[in-house]
Amino acid sequence: MASWGTYFRWASLAVVVAAGSWLLWPRSGDDSVTGIPQRRNYGGGVKHVIKFVPGPQYMPGTTPFGLGAPLRGIAEVVRDFEERFPDTRVEFVSVPGVREYLVTQLSSGNAPDIVMVNVEDVWVDVQKGWYVPLDPYLEAPNPFIREKGNPSLPGYEQWWDMFKYQAISRGKAAPDNLNYCISFDMVETGIFYNKDIFREVGVEPPETWDDWLLSMEKVKAAGYIPLLMNRDSFNDWAVDLVFDQLYCGILPGIDLVQEPVREAYLQGYLDWDELCFLFEQGFFTQKDPRYCELWKHLHDLRQYCNQNLMGTDLAREFVTQRAAMLWMPTPFTYRLTGDRQLAFEWGIFYVPQFTRKTSDYASNTPMCVIGGSGTQYEVTNSAFGDTGDPATSERLKRVMALLQFIMVPEQYERVVNEYASLLPNVVGVPVLASIQPFADILERQYTTTKWIFTFDLKFADIQARMLELYLNDGIGQEEFMRWQVDNLNTATRNLLLRKDIDMARLEKRWRELAPVREAMEGLPRE
Amino acid sequence: MNSHKGPFLGYRARFTLTCYALLACQVALLVVFVYVPVFWAFSKSFFQFEVGSDSRFVGFANYGELFVRDPTTLPSVLHMMFLTAFAVCVRLSVPLVVAKLIHSLSRERGRYLFRILFLVPVVVPGVAVQLIWAGMIYGDRGMLNELLRAAGLEQFMTGWLSNPATALVAVACVGFPWVGGFEVLIYYAGLSSIPESVTEAALLEGCTGLQKFLRIDIPMVMSQLKLILILTIIAGVQSFEGLFIMTKGGPGFKTMVPGLWMYFNAFSYQRMGYACAIGVCLFFIVFGLTVLNMRYFKSTAELEGRG
Repeated sequence: MASWGTYFRWASLAVVVAAGSWLLWPRSGDDSVTGIPQRRNYGGGVKHVIKFVPGPQYMPGTTPFGLGAPLRGIAEVVRDFEERFPDTRVEFVSVPGVREYLVTQLSSGNAPDIVMVNVEDVWVDVQKGWYVPLDPYLEAPNPFIREKGNPSLPGYEQWWDMFKYQAISRGKAAPDNLNYCISFDMVETGIFYNKDIFREVGVEPPETWDDWLLSMEKVKAAGYIPLLMNRDSFNDWAVDLVFDQLYCGILPGIDLVQEPVREAYLQGYLDWDELCFLFEQGFFTQKDPRYCELWKHLHDLRQYCNQNLMGTDLAREFVTQRAAMLWMPTPFTYRLTGDRQLAFEWGIFYVPQFTRKTSDYASNTPMCVIGGSGTQYEVTNSAFGDTGDPATSERLKRVMALLQFIMVPEQYERVVNEYASLLPNVVGVPVLASIQPFADILERQYTTTKWIFTFDLKFADIQARMLELYLNDGIGQEEFMRWQVDNLNTATRNLLLRKDIDMARLEKRWRELAPVREAMEGLPRE
Repeated sequence: MNSHKGPFLGYRARFTLTCYALLACQVALLVVFVYVPVFWAFSKSFFQFEVGSDSRFVGFANYGELFVRDPTTLPSVLHMMFLTAFAVCVRLSVPLVVAKLIHSLSRERGRYLFRILFLVPVVVPGVAVQLIWAGMIYGDRGMLNELLRAAGLEQFMTGWLSNPATALVAVACVGFPWVGGFEVLIYYAGLSSIPESVTEAALLEGCTGLQKFLRIDIPMVMSQLKLILILTIIAGVQSFEGLFIMTKGGPGFKTMVPGLWMYFNAFSYQRMGYACAIGVCLFFIVFGLTVLNMRYFKSTAELEGRG
């Protein structure tokens, strides 16, 4: 027979379990607080359940940076959509931000209908039929604009016309020239700086790269970390900006293809086929003095940055005033504007340009735009799972209707301008004042190329790894260049295998531009 | 006539058949979930293969790339050997000493308490341990750097996991002081099973203290040491999750190991065929090391001449 002690132990365990369950049980009314529709058992009238990944910037119920009320903008818009289409329900889902997850879901046909992923990651998979080309929808009227009956409204003739940043949005076309993403909003980066520290040290926002390094020297001498950056901002933003400064001046001699649609904005942009061809001509190798110099400038910049480039909490270093500057994208503005305990004044400036003093190859042009599409929505193969054929799928039409509905200005503004995070990409929707500086930066010329998005994921990863090692003095520049050239060699070979590049056309154009290049200095030569 | 007819099969035969039937279910599951994927991986190592795409036969090209052209192969194998050797040294020594100390306590209550104390860390998930070390101990403002700052040794402060000179050693040292876990219990069980007569004989011969530990205890727990050795080698060759969480094989490839490189090739770069080739090589490495271990590392029974 069990003793009293045994009964007591079991009773104690039961009490602990009951108390724990009570504490962890979701509060009633959470739905109304977060705005997330929590329906699970849909009635018989529901034909389509759309799974939508709105992305971290808009996920209903989340509180960006822990500031303000939980987001509900997109949930309210979706609720209106569901009222218009009672046979449709939309579920917001949050998926792991890792490519591995998405690949397994897509290959099994179980991915959410609308996902948010950088479209460059999609390009490598387009031949697998995992994503729906959106061009037929973008080239057709937006039905929710059409029903207003006003032909002067953007979107009445073509959905495309509603996009404010036309070239960036259209420039997201994949190597097969089809568009797989909706560029929902725009993002840009900037240097957030602590005005109090700048005043204390006696420096101003710089006009040139050299001034910037000089300012950072003074900030460092005063005991602050001058600039907070991580490995990815070096590998992505800094590489592209410095590359542009060094190569922009010789674009007339090396830009071999002009894309008619994208040229309006992406003036002289070097696409993957041009980069492959130029690499074969000795560019981006040890023979290319500009390319060697690019990495040296990054190494110089690294001397003023935080010790650990893989550190994840750079914002904390900035808000606690251990560092004077922080290179961040647009959404960080909200973090600073919403922080009532912030004990300093801050401002934003853009990375200053090179001069001839910085480099003999400096193009003397302002630093270019490296941002662009922020939230990018793709429609997956799950969306036409009802028939297996995009042409006949009713479900796909409803999924597209959801995206078209959200992009109608009055709906869109409720989502994008719910808080100051990303820049609107719909004509007629205003920019919130605190992120206006980024909209101004976005007016500049676009970058000469986006290195890590040009080739495959292996190229980008190896460049990031070896750049980190080089910046941390784990290897010298010579060894880094050897890795980088090997990496480019593999990447270009893979690209030539994957994409049928017309090298003869590039060769012809290369010869035509020979006289232009004659006058240029510092080109790779034997 | 009421003739009694016995069952078609006798009890023994029925029992055996039932065992076979039950085993067949397990074997079928094992084949489906273990052997088929292994053979599938082996065959795919001869293909260029991406998830969602057609595969193309390339013969030994993946193996050629792995052994000849891939510059990460040699460093990653060396890193794996270093980490495995480090783990073997640590797991064969420190927990054994701790187990011996616990075993030497005179009171059973004390032994019980310490066994529990050393076992409790096992319940902390490995991922949590890696995250704690990466953030709270090796972080820029982690415990290690703050201790150095407090001691006035700022010049030694560094990004332990991002500094190419320290990253591999920092990864190896995760889990310090390496005393929590099953090893202590396994060694303790081994020490407890040493017959009283052996201990008494040793005492009569004047064999005490360190001498007894080295000459009596260690040979008597050789089976446990062998088990831990095999498990540590297998884990050292196969596991990569800790590195994935803490360094992703970086900076550069300074903490890359073949298992992690296989993962990146399979799921990040989608080079499944190449990843399968790495996996097949890892299989043969583990297999070879285990065979060597079984053949040349004698167990307690073998040492006693019973094996």
